[in-house]
Amino acid sequence: MYLRKTIILVFTLSYLGASAQSICKSTFTGQVLDETNHPVIGATVLLLPHYTGQVVDVLGNFKFENICAGNYKVRVQYLGYQDEEFDLQINDKANRVILLKEDVKQLSEVVVNAHHDAAHTEYANSFTQLSEKQLDELAGKSLGESLKEVAGVSSIQTGPGIFKPVIHGVHSQRVLILNYGIRQEGQQWGAEHAPEIDPFIASNIVVIKDASAIKYGTDALGGVIVVNPPELPRKAELGGTFNTILQSNGQSGTVSGMLEGGIKNHDGWGWRVQGTGKRSGDFHTPDYSLTNTGIKELNFSTSIGYHKENAGFDIFFSHFQTELGVLKGTAISSLEDLANAMERAEPLYTSSFSYQIGEPRQEVSHNLLKINGHVLTNHGEWKIQYGFQNNNRKEFDIRMGDLAKIPAIDLKLNTHTLDAEWETLHSDKRTISLGISGMYQNNQNIFGTQRLPFIPNFVNLSGGAFAVSKLFLNQWTIDLGTRYDYRYYDVKGFDYKNTRYASSFSFNNISASAGATVTLPENQTLNLNLSSAWRPPHVAELYSVGTHQSAAAIEYGLLLNDSTNEVMNIKDVNFKTEQAVKFVATYTRSWQRFAVEVSPYMNYIFNYIYLRPEGITKNVRGVYPYYRYTQTDALFTGVDVTGTWHVSRYLKVLPKVSLLRASDVRNDDYLVFIPSNRYELAVRYDRPEVSVFKNFYVESKLKYIAKQYRAPRVITVRQILEAEEQDVDIFTTDNSNFDFMAAPSGYGLLNLAVGASLKRDRVQYDFRIAAENALNQSYREYTNRFRYYADDVGRNFIFSLKCIF
Amino acid sequence: MKNYKNIFRKITISITLISIGFLSGCNSNDPKKEDTPELITKATLTFTPIGGGSSVVVSATDPDGDGVQDIAVDGDINLVSDTDYTLTITLINELAAPTDPAYDISAEVAEEGAEHIFFFGWTNNVFYNPTGNGNIDNRSDGINYNDSDENGLPIGLSTNWSTSVNTASGKFRVILKHQPDLKSPTSTSSDGETDLDIEFVINIL
Repeated sequence: MYLRKTIILVFTLSYLGASAQSICKSTFTGQVLDETNHPVIGATVLLLPHYTGQVVDVLGNFKFENICAGNYKVRVQYLGYQDEEFDLQINDKANRVILLKEDVKQLSEVVVNAHHDAAHTEYANSFTQLSEKQLDELAGKSLGESLKEVAGVSSIQTGPGIFKPVIHGVHSQRVLILNYGIRQEGQQWGAEHAPEIDPFIASNIVVIKDASAIKYGTDALGGVIVVNPPELPRKAELGGTFNTILQSNGQSGTVSGMLEGGIKNHDGWGWRVQGTGKRSGDFHTPDYSLTNTGIKELNFSTSIGYHKENAGFDIFFSHFQTELGVLKGTAISSLEDLANAMERAEPLYTSSFSYQIGEPRQEVSHNLLKINGHVLTNHGEWKIQYGFQNNNRKEFDIRMGDLAKIPAIDLKLNTHTLDAEWETLHSDKRTISLGISGMYQNNQNIFGTQRLPFIPNFVNLSGGAFAVSKLFLNQWTIDLGTRYDYRYYDVKGFDYKNTRYASSFSFNNISASAGATVTLPENQTLNLNLSSAWRPPHVAELYSVGTHQSAAAIEYGLLLNDSTNEVMNIKDVNFKTEQAVKFVATYTRSWQRFAVEVSPYMNYIFNYIYLRPEGITKNVRGVYPYYRYTQTDALFTGVDVTGTWHVSRYLKVLPKVSLLRASDVRNDDYLVFIPSNRYELAVRYDRPEVSVFKNFYVESKLKYIAKQYRAPRVITVRQILEAEEQDVDIFTTDNSNFDFMAAPSGYGLLNLAVGASLKRDRVQYDFRIAAENALNQSYREYTNRFRYYADDVGRNFIFSLKCIF
Repeated sequence: MKNYKNIFRKITISITLISIGFLSGCNSNDPKKEDTPELITKATLTFTPIGGGSSVVVSATDPDGDGVQDIAVDGDINLVSDTDYTLTITLINELAAPTDPAYDISAEVAEEGAEHIFFFGWTNNVFYNPTGNGNIDNRSDGINYNDSDENGLPIGLSTNWSTSVNTASGKFRVILKHQPDLKSPTSTSSDGETDLDIEFVINIL
């Protein structure tokens, strides 16, 4: 819905220049109101076929100037309202008040981009969208960093370049990412493994924060991140965008371009090519350089498709490739090294700025091929999609001699997915969708690392079937869904002695979801969702052995015997799959000038798998703490609040609050790396027109991230070493969770931005200048894994320019 | 309408064919056994009396590598008082075959001498020369290194020691540091990554 709107906008823009050359002096003004006579702020008015769209202001007003007299089609759209379309003859001056009707059905139906002809039973209830405009303002950031703009979403960070999204306190295997409708399958088990997606391929990103999206499979215990592409053009008109982003911190440059069009005399065919290149050097804190934190990235994608009213297909291919430096000062190999690193004012190896990326570093590539088709018949819509993903991850450590040139971890993961779905036609009473999905996955350690493999080779065969339905009863919308999944693993690897082991086993379980949305008087809506989801364990959680990049700890999987380290059979271990019950309520209300959304949630995860500190072992390199994957019951409760206050016609204030509490219920303890409470206040001045500029805005955003008071006990490295000296294993008496360092204090950051658009000939130029951490604060973030070693990044100036043609 | 169905059917068939092709070609998930050249499972210290006589040999072994078992030391270092010794250190990986280049890690350390350095520490004045308590806590404290790297900086695979005149007992600690681009006349035992950190009881009899 929204997507198509923006595409139309892009195309109509290209006509602007051409038409404006004739003598055209007419104006068309008006106001967009809802059924209660309140302005529909943000609605788009499109003047078709030859003029651009406009977004109405805070009072619902719009104004088209210098247009040619003639006959037009006016289309007004806004998410959650039914489209309004009428013909209009404009001579000299025209004025209209346009009333939009609320569309209750559409409100609760995002989201995975598809055809709009059939019903949409996506069952996403509690969701937040990063729109194209917001993504533009985040251009140059990684996917994980961009998502932090969504209330309730934060990140587990590994230095300044690696961001892993966290929804309501859970991450990695518990967050499902859908890239162009395909489950993203990378090496998601590692906390320092960021999603392999170029955010420039998205026209919007939707975050579903409840577990209701069971259509997409297992694992979505915390939520789903949906990366939506723009729709392919259907007409033979050429268009495109070109982005350039320069950043002072890291002295980085990012360029991204996109070109799209149709095929002449072949209506319905469309194509797009897109590419992004990024180069960044060492980031810096207010006081020192973060040596070896550079980034090199090169991505491209291409797609072609054919779409008509009743059928269509797309072929999409994308390649993502990145090389990431890991802060050199984190290269440690024992507790003694860690103690030294933590006590240093600035990290070891700190040197002046450089673009060079040395060890430790990561090289990751991800290819995706997707083919999908759909056809609309009298019996409903049929959809089928096939995806092939090829992921390669290499991790290079500081190693002896020539070994530094070969990766310490080298994994190849191939995944095939096949999904088929049938959906009923749109009806006023109910919609039903049925589907099946299958996955074949093969993980291989590439020979030649000259190190014991951290995770084994495995084959994963999965299959599932779902049924979801949506019922419409007056002001109520009811969502119901259920799903069955089966997963089979065939594992082959080498244990700590370098002795081969092999095993195969399977899991199966059911997920279910129920939700209700009701529209209440006085612009109120309430949505309630209760869902239960499960996830099979990842092989890494079962079989991991060894030390991991810059962790200074040894990790053991669930299936390793705690005294002999031998690999055990899963049947001999008391293992139960993780199962979550999540409840999310979302209440929205809007007044004349104020709108608020409050969304409390509770997520109880049974048999939650986490790394628990278990003891200390001595090897030739020194003393190491070791962690073992263990199960407990965990509870995550919190609330996300966002508000919009239209202070005046152009000025608005946007508060945002995310509160979260997480605990280990079985052991009455806290969990480590849980995001602390976050508060944000943005003041934004938006003006559709200032002299020659359009869409002018100035924004000042103040963020306050509180200290995490609900953190596990602190045992310093020196305490562990001292106890070891006296032959005391401090974990034998109390192995509750711990952290090497107390949670850092809270901090406030000020971000400033100013932007505007300029139209010249057929091209629109969007400028943006911003300063992040404008006051150059020194701070450390609790969920940054490098907080033991170094401060976070200092002030960053960003200049970006986007050309749309 | 017929046309679209046709296209759709073709896509479905090709997808099925592609998937079958991939599935049948992807069954080789048998992993190959890696060599593990960095894994040190045994460190041996050999004190050879310079004036002749039998050597004193002690070693520290960690047969399970990254497993939970602690490193085991096979005995104390028992040296004769008022005697000059040469200490040589051998590091081996018993998981590799003795013929394998990955077996002898001390050779690798010698080869990469410019990036490696041994530090020593002891208590209770068990040595007459060098004096003090070693260079782990203070780099400038004396150690009689017998070897050096291409930059003329010490390595420590071979060192000389003179035991104290009187009997004494204490601890003897050996640390091997990997200091790529960090090794200098002043780099200390807290710089770089630890490759080895072992401790023995030492008795001067």
